[in-house]
Amino acid sequence: MSLGLEQLTPCFQGILPSMFFTCSSDGTPNAAFLSHVEYIDPSHVALSFQFFNKSRRNIAENPYALLRVIDPDNNQGWALRVKFERSETFGPIFDRMSLRIEAIASYAGLKGIFKLKSADIYLVESVEQVPEEPGRQERWSARGRRQPDAVFTIKALQELSARMTAAANLDQLLQSILSGIKEYFGFSHSMILLAGEKPGTLVTIASRGYPQGGAGAEVRFGEGIIGVVAEAQQPIRIAGLVRGMLYAYAAKKRAEERGWQPQEAVRLPGLENPASQLGVPLVVAGELIGVLCIESETAYRFHEEDKNTIQLLGASLAIAIQNMQRREAEEEPEAARAPAPLRTASGKTRQVAFYRSDEVVMLDGDYLIRSLPARIFWKLLQTYKREGRAEFTNRELRLDKSLGLPDFKDNLETRLLLLRRRLDEKAEDIRLVPVGRGRFALQLGCTIELVEKQ
Amino acid sequence: MLDKPLTEFLEQGLAIHIGTRNDAMRPNGARVTAVRVEDQGRHLVAFVPSAATPGVFDDLRANGQAAISFARPTDDRAVQVKGELISLRDADPSEEAFVLGQWRSLIGELDAIGLAALTSTNTWLLWPCVAVKIRVTAIFSQTPGPEAGSVLS
Repeated sequence: MSLGLEQLTPCFQGILPSMFFTCSSDGTPNAAFLSHVEYIDPSHVALSFQFFNKSRRNIAENPYALLRVIDPDNNQGWALRVKFERSETFGPIFDRMSLRIEAIASYAGLKGIFKLKSADIYLVESVEQVPEEPGRQERWSARGRRQPDAVFTIKALQELSARMTAAANLDQLLQSILSGIKEYFGFSHSMILLAGEKPGTLVTIASRGYPQGGAGAEVRFGEGIIGVVAEAQQPIRIAGLVRGMLYAYAAKKRAEERGWQPQEAVRLPGLENPASQLGVPLVVAGELIGVLCIESETAYRFHEEDKNTIQLLGASLAIAIQNMQRREAEEEPEAARAPAPLRTASGKTRQVAFYRSDEVVMLDGDYLIRSLPARIFWKLLQTYKREGRAEFTNRELRLDKSLGLPDFKDNLETRLLLLRRRLDEKAEDIRLVPVGRGRFALQLGCTIELVEKQ
Repeated sequence: MLDKPLTEFLEQGLAIHIGTRNDAMRPNGARVTAVRVEDQGRHLVAFVPSAATPGVFDDLRANGQAAISFARPTDDRAVQVKGELISLRDADPSEEAFVLGQWRSLIGELDAIGLAALTSTNTWLLWPCVAVKIRVTAIFSQTPGPEAGSVLS
């Protein structure tokens, strides 16, 4: 029985390793494992060329090869007779394969070492079932995964869109997005990172499904799937991250044994051991607003159609977030209303230390926040101590030159939201509470001792 | 040629494939259920499912060239053994327990990296097998990285 290549796309997710059989011109066969086979079109696949190995040398001598892949949905093995056509070192196929490799490499501290040299394109001459690997009748599906259904997807997008439209501020908007992604699409672990204060950085502003919220966690461009998505402004879906990581760590070990010194692996926000990741850039008119990242501990959780749907969603999220940021920045403060009472009053004394040279605020010796949100928090506490005033407007912060806000696109509301999130996570008895449009109150359920250090 | 540590590595239950080629220099390949190292490491017996594509057995009979790749899923340590055919025979029923025991060890490895749900391979035809005995001619490292392809022995 043979099948068209386009029906084998589950085989090309990198969940289960593939085999590549070649033969040198002197007739010596070679069998090698492949981490990933990329589907190109109904008659072509691409293999990644990272290391100059025997398979690559054989192909230079004899272009005919055999590929064996396994469908992870039902374990059916397939044999593809292929012929080498060409190598690509740039273009969309190369970029797509390179991004995936770079994202994995950055987790292992292998950026630059573990990189794509070329995408080798092969013509698929025939596809046959592997006789010793017949598949199951039923297809495997990740728990909680709904089957692809265009009507359902459109309805879900419509409902999520309506929920986003009803959001009154950035906080509500971000929460509505993440809760909608869980509710309508079943993706439990998600986070949104927005452009950080420092160029080339993103900062986690909202998350859902993690034991700790992780607000404030930074990612530099190029680090992990989030950083690579930001750098390339392209979506990435990794279905078999565990396998990819094992491959990367094996390469790292070899590189270290040879005396190479990989960079230190970075610690990024999110699941400790994700098996699937989907990252989508949030872009408006070519400008990166942030990144939406969805994760799962289940391999093969996200399929290609999920990437397409979330990418579509990402386009409207980016516009909605940018519009909300602009609206909040331009709004006149409205009259204050009474804030909700503080739920926790510890009555204890807390020390807030501001390290001016590092622009870091420590709370009782633990890191709280850095940069602009740290300067804002310090300003609020000093004002409270000096004047006894606990209500503030966004406008007065915006006009305060000592805070050093940029003249253009200061993202003040985003920084305030980040500060609120950090306080929610770290201090139940210190809160920033909105009390009207463009206005908020500092609520203290404890006594504050301020310490300034260099 | 295959020393004790390498023998222990190869026989622990790994992902194994055999590659061959026909007279037109076109490659063929099949899964290997298990291997056994014999004769102080000079010979290796690969248990290839009888259901495997006949081309592999035809190639072995025609030119005797074989390449057998081994990979451990939990760390991607990989080795390739090249060799020449000594004999082909149907595996004896008394060998079934040894062969399928090695396969179960591989499934345990896959379990360890969370691929259990994807690897219920009970539909695969892993037994009966043909015992392919080869004389080991070369051994290469295939662990991913800059030294993939280097000679081990």
